[in-house]
Amino acid sequence: MSLAEELARGGAIFYVQRNYEIVRQVIAKSLIEKGVVLEPLSSAVKKGWVDKLLWTVLPAREIEPKGAFVYIPPYVKVQAPVSFCFTVDKGSQSVHNVLVIGEGSEVTVTSVCSSAGDGKEHKGYTEVFLGKRAKLDYVMVHSWAKDTRVEAELGVIVDSEAVMNELYVSLRSPYELRGNARFILRKKASLSASTIYLATLGRALLETGVTIESENSSAEVTSRVVAAKGSIVRQPILLEAKAPNTKGHVECKGLQLSHDSVIETIPSLRSAHGGAQLTHEAAIGKISEEELAYLTSKGFTEDEAVTLLVRGFLELGIKGLPESLKPQITSILDLLARAATG
Amino acid sequence: MLPIMSLLKLEDVHVHVEQKEVVKGVNLKVERGEVHVLLGPNGSGKSTLLRAIMGLPGYGVTRGKILFEGRDLDSLKPYERARLGIALMHQNPKPISVKLQQVIEELCKRYGAPQDLVQKLGVNGLMDRELFKGFSGGEIKRVELALTILQKPKLAMLDEPDSGVDLGNLRLVGDAINSLANEGASILLVTHTGVIADYLNKVDFTHVIVDGRIVASGELNEMLNLIREKGYQAFMRWTS
Ligand SMILES: Nc1ncnc2c1ncn2[C@@H]1O[C@H](COP(=O)(O)OP(=O)(O)O)[C@@H](O)[C@H]1O
Ligand SMILES: [Mg+2]
Repeated sequence: MSLAEELARGGAIFYVQRNYEIVRQVIAKSLIEKGVVLEPLSSAVKKGWVDKLLWTVLPAREIEPKGAFVYIPPYVKVQAPVSFCFTVDKGSQSVHNVLVIGEGSEVTVTSVCSSAGDGKEHKGYTEVFLGKRAKLDYVMVHSWAKDTRVEAELGVIVDSEAVMNELYVSLRSPYELRGNARFILRKKASLSASTIYLATLGRALLETGVTIESENSSAEVTSRVVAAKGSIVRQPILLEAKAPNTKGHVECKGLQLSHDSVIETIPSLRSAHGGAQLTHEAAIGKISEEELAYLTSKGFTEDEAVTLLVRGFLELGIKGLPESLKPQITSILDLLARAATG
Repeated sequence: MLPIMSLLKLEDVHVHVEQKEVVKGVNLKVERGEVHVLLGPNGSGKSTLLRAIMGLPGYGVTRGKILFEGRDLDSLKPYERARLGIALMHQNPKPISVKLQQVIEELCKRYGAPQDLVQKLGVNGLMDRELFKGFSGGEIKRVELALTILQKPKLAMLDEPDSGVDLGNLRLVGDAINSLANEGASILLVTHTGVIADYLNKVDFTHVIVDGRIVASGELNEMLNLIREKGYQAFMRWTS
């Protein structure tokens, strides 16, 4: 998988799992010396404290702990990205990952999930514990074969003063996908969560839930959905504030490229405390004739102009990611724009 | 021997917009390297004429011919005309949901222009912005002119490059137009105030368009003086 390899290039930690087999598990020596841990979750749970964390952010499932465990001790800056790669090419795959990032640490994580061949089902559950004042940039990329059924859940606790930037990108949609991301924000925490979903077939349910539990925290949820060729995308987003001096904004935009596609966006705000400031904006539309006319007058064919507009639509939905990921994001956007119009 | 073709030749061009005749028989020749200024009051059909030359949807030529290097443009789409070397600097472009950076990259790729060609127009600070969204009047003009220049056109049609531009920026815009002309591009520049004229190194011909017709052609200052003294009404007797 070239994209996965590209994302993983020069990584500090590299973990590849095919079906249930761990294909590669690499961690830079310098990180081991600093106390960073990468191991299969099945062995990590032998430590009592890890076992206690399981299913505390996500609703419990009856699955084996087959997946990755990463621990970053307090005040460690991991320069190169931590990369995960999960592929299913035979039957079904269930994955449970746990990431514990210590107080004041900083890390970038990229996670690629894909299916091929006879991969019928992928279930992925990732729980992230982001410590006080820690910073996490998290990019999750999906690319599915059309016959796969996917269930993907991400649960994150963003502790006091921690900063999380999350981006979920789907390059190829499967016939059925249920995605759920939930974030819990403690005091003075900050979250930016973006979704970029290109649907060229099937149906997708993309749920996002953000709970701001304590004061002085802020969250921004952004999404861009492009629907083509009879695809159906349903996207409920709940932003909930339970404390004063909190801020949240939801911005979701849908772009329909075909008459037989469906986009349903349901942004909802819930404030359980006076003093929260929550807003949302949502819009669904098609490619604008006026914008097309402008771009074709500059010498772009109609197809090229649509590709540019789709790319722009998606790109403008990405917020808060570091410069270091720009080359990867650029190639992802190019790929997406071509796939949408191809 | 082949006859030497004009770069652009309009023969009795009529344009209808929404079933209303807006351009009513325009004849015009633009040769290589020439700078033409088109003056006319608001609503006289200046933009409509340029849009029709570009071939924009809704601006169909209903009578007459537009020839570019001797070739009838009638059956060509806007992108094909652009690729022949015709560029239109739109008068008032609306926001385009693509980052400026991306549009510039794509144009440079398509036309083989180096990005620093437009350095002087000071667009760098806007690269990461959605094109034209929330831009000031001056920014819109500078950026739209930059995009036009990056097309390396043989014919640059500039629709009011001076309107809404402050004095400092007028100099920038004028200089950029001068270098474009220096590179050998022909220029067809529309203005209803004529303020940009002071900043241009040369103007070969000036035409006055009133109510869809070119009613006078001549030397720039002569035309401007007439308009300043008597207003566009001075030309009205030519129409109807
Ligand atoms: N898209 C359009 N729809 C309707 N009317 C138009 C359109 N474009 C131009 N017109 C009309 O054509 C006339 C000439 O407009 P225009 O070419 O923009 O004038 P100018 O550029 O000289 O100010 C005006 O009466 C204007 O209202
Ligand atoms: Mg006009």
